[in-house]
Amino acid sequence: MNQRILLCVFGILFASGGALAQDTSRAVSREEYEETEGTLEGIGETLAAIKSTVDALSKLKISGYVQSQYQVAESGGIVSAAGGIFPSDVKSRFVVRRGRIKFNYVADFSQYVLQIDVTQNGVGIKDAYVSILDPWEKTFGFTAGIFDRPFGFEIGYSSGSREMPERTRVTQLLLPGERELGAKIEILPQDGPLSFFNLRAGVFNGVLNTANENNGFKDFIGRMGVQLPFREENLEIDAGVSLYSGKVTNTSKFVYSVDPSGGVNRFAVDSSASNLGGSLGRVYYGTDLQLYCDLLPIGGTSLRGEYITGTQPGSSVLNVFYNPYGSGGVISASLPVYMRKFTGWYVSLVQNLGGSHQLIARYDEFDPNTEVAGAEVGVPGSNFNDTDLRYYTLGVGWVFHFDANVKFTFYYDVVTNEKTAETATGSLAAYKNDIHDNVFIFRTQFRF
Amino acid sequence: MKQFIVIAIAVLAAFGFAFQGETITIKGSDTMVILAQRWAEAYMSKKQDVTIQVTGGGSGTGISALINGTTDIATSSRPMKRSEMDKLKQRYSSLGVEVKVAKDGLSVYVSESNPVREMTLAQVKDIYTGKISNWKDVGGPEGKIILYSRENNSGTYVFFKEHVLENEDFATRTQNLPGTASVVNAVSKDKMGIGYGGAAYASGIRTVLIKKDDASPAIAPTEETVLSDTYPISRYLYLYLKSKPTGDLKEYIDWILSPEGQGLITKVGYFPVTKVGDSPTKK
Repeated sequence: MNQRILLCVFGILFASGGALAQDTSRAVSREEYEETEGTLEGIGETLAAIKSTVDALSKLKISGYVQSQYQVAESGGIVSAAGGIFPSDVKSRFVVRRGRIKFNYVADFSQYVLQIDVTQNGVGIKDAYVSILDPWEKTFGFTAGIFDRPFGFEIGYSSGSREMPERTRVTQLLLPGERELGAKIEILPQDGPLSFFNLRAGVFNGVLNTANENNGFKDFIGRMGVQLPFREENLEIDAGVSLYSGKVTNTSKFVYSVDPSGGVNRFAVDSSASNLGGSLGRVYYGTDLQLYCDLLPIGGTSLRGEYITGTQPGSSVLNVFYNPYGSGGVISASLPVYMRKFTGWYVSLVQNLGGSHQLIARYDEFDPNTEVAGAEVGVPGSNFNDTDLRYYTLGVGWVFHFDANVKFTFYYDVVTNEKTAETATGSLAAYKNDIHDNVFIFRTQFRF
Repeated sequence: MKQFIVIAIAVLAAFGFAFQGETITIKGSDTMVILAQRWAEAYMSKKQDVTIQVTGGGSGTGISALINGTTDIATSSRPMKRSEMDKLKQRYSSLGVEVKVAKDGLSVYVSESNPVREMTLAQVKDIYTGKISNWKDVGGPEGKIILYSRENNSGTYVFFKEHVLENEDFATRTQNLPGTASVVNAVSKDKMGIGYGGAAYASGIRTVLIKKDDASPAIAPTEETVLSDTYPISRYLYLYLKSKPTGDLKEYIDWILSPEGQGLITKVGYFPVTKVGDSPTKK
C-alpha cells in the first residue's frame, strides 16, 4: 500500500518536474511560478491526507495461519488427544486442524483483538478482547474479553508457534479451549531491577470461552513468573507458579468421592439434600520451567516442563470440569459431581538443527484420579471407569521450516494407558491391555 | 500407506537439507548499510567462494527478518528489544548472539546556513516534541522549525526516541523519511530544517554540538568523545545472529572484528570498539 502511494506521488512529482523542465531556456513568469507553487501545495495536501489514511490503516495488523494435516491412527474409533476422537472404523483422515485469522488494531496504549477459527467444523471465536497499557510506566496492563487463561506455560504458547502439534492431555482436559471470558491485570516491568518479574492474574466466568456465566461464582486464575536471561552464556531460565481457584455449582444432591474404607477403594456418594445447589472447589496448582540455551554448534536447545496438581470436580464419565449447563445457562441435566484429585506433568525437548530443522520430543503423564490405581478400576463395586485411568504419552517428531511462512511437522505419539483389573468387564475389559491409540500426524502450516 | 509416508518424509528431508548455501545475507539498519556493504565488498574480494548480500530497511526490519529466518545477520543501530528476543527464543531456542561492532555518535543536523551551533539535549527534545517550534527560541533566526525524522522501523528512530525524547512522542508535524540519507538530503535543502542520524552521514549539512545540560560543555561527535561516552548521545552498532555462528558465518564475523574489518569502520565514519581477539564467537 505504502509503495503504491509513494509511486503515485513520485509519478505526479516526476510529471510536474518534467513539465517544468521542458522549457528551461526562458524565464519563468510570476504566474507560472505561482501556478506551480499552488500545484505543489495541492500535492502536499493530498499527500498529507493519504498519509493520514495510511497511518490509520497501519495500526490494523492482520495475521493468521492454517494447519492442514493427515493423521493415521493405530485403530479406528479411538479417543485421542492428538486432534480429537476418530470415528468408528476411521483410521486415517485429512483435517484442517486450525484456520485462524487475527485482527489486531493497535493504538498507542491500547489494542483490540479479534481472532476467529475457521475449519471444516465451522467458525468459532477464539479471542475477542480489549487491552490497555498504562501510558506512564508501560508496566501495568488491563485486558477484558475472551483470551488465554493466565495459567502455566503451555496455555499461552500459540498453536502457530508450538513445535508439537497439540497441547498435552493434562492441559486439554483441565483448561479446554485455552480461553475464558473474564478480565485480568498484568504487571510487566519493562526495565529496572524488576524487569525479570511478571504477573498476570484475573477473574473469569469459568465456563469456557463462548459460554455465558451460569453460576454465582467467579474463578481466579493467575501466574507469577520470572525470566532470567544470561546473555553472555546465551542461556535463559523462565519459571512460574500458577493458581486456578474456582467453584462449580452442583445441580444434583449427589457428590461422589473416593472412599478407601470397607476394604475396597470405591467412589462413595454423599446424597445430602443440602448438596443441591452447593458449591465445590475447582482448584489447580501449577509450576512450570523453561530452559533455553545455545550451547551446541548445531543450534539452540530448549527444555520445558510443567507440573499441575489439584482437585477436579467432574462427572462420572468425563474428567473435564463439571459443567451441567446447556446453552444460555439452562440446566440440561441433573448431574452428580465426581471429585477427583489429579496430577499431570510433561517435559519437552526441542533441538534446532541449523535454521530450518527441529527435532522434537515430549513425554507427558496425566493421572486424573491419584487415589485410584489402574488395578482397582473394574473391580466389582468400585464404581470407577476409564475416566480414572492414567495415561503416558511419548511423542517424537521433526519440524522442517520450508521458508518464513511454511513449516512441515511429522510427529508420532506413542500412547500408553494404565491397565484395568483382571476382573474388569464390559467396555473396561479392553483396558486390560494397552489400547491401540498411537497416532501419526503429518501437518503443513502456512502462517502470515 | 506406510510406504508413502516413509517416502514423503525421505523426500522432504533430502529437500530440506539440500539447500544449505554459502551465501550470507545481511539485512537491517540503514545507518549501517554503507558499513555493511564496505565489509562485504572487502571480504568477497578476499574470499571469492563466499557471496554476501546486503540490504537495509531499518533495524526493526532486519531483526524481523532474522526471526523469520530470511537473513543470516541483522544489523541494528539499537539493542534488541525484549519482545524480539522472546520471538527469537521461541523460534530458535536461543537469545541470539549480539556482536557490538562499532560506535556512533547520533548527530543532530541543521542546514549549513543555519547559525545555530549548539543545543542542549533538553532543547533538542523540546524541538522534536513540539514544545519549541521557532528557531529564535534556540538562538537562531525567526522561522518555523521543520522536523525531519526516520520511520518507526528504524533503530535510529527508536534510539533517538528513547535517549533524547525520553520516550515522549514526536510532534505530529514531524516528517518521517525512509533513510538517514533522505534526512540529510532534506536538511541540506531546507534552511529551517533539523534532522538526526549517524555521524557517517554528516555531509552537506552542519552537525550541532550537543550539551548534556546548560552547565555542560558543547561536544562534537568525534572518535574521542564517542568512545569515551563524553558525547551525550553515543551508541553502539550491532550485528545480531540467530545462534552461535559456525563455518563461513563465523569466519566472516571474526574477520569483521579483526584489525582489517575494524579498520574499515573509521573510513565509513564510525568508530571501532573491539580490540583484536575479543570476538564473542570464539567462546
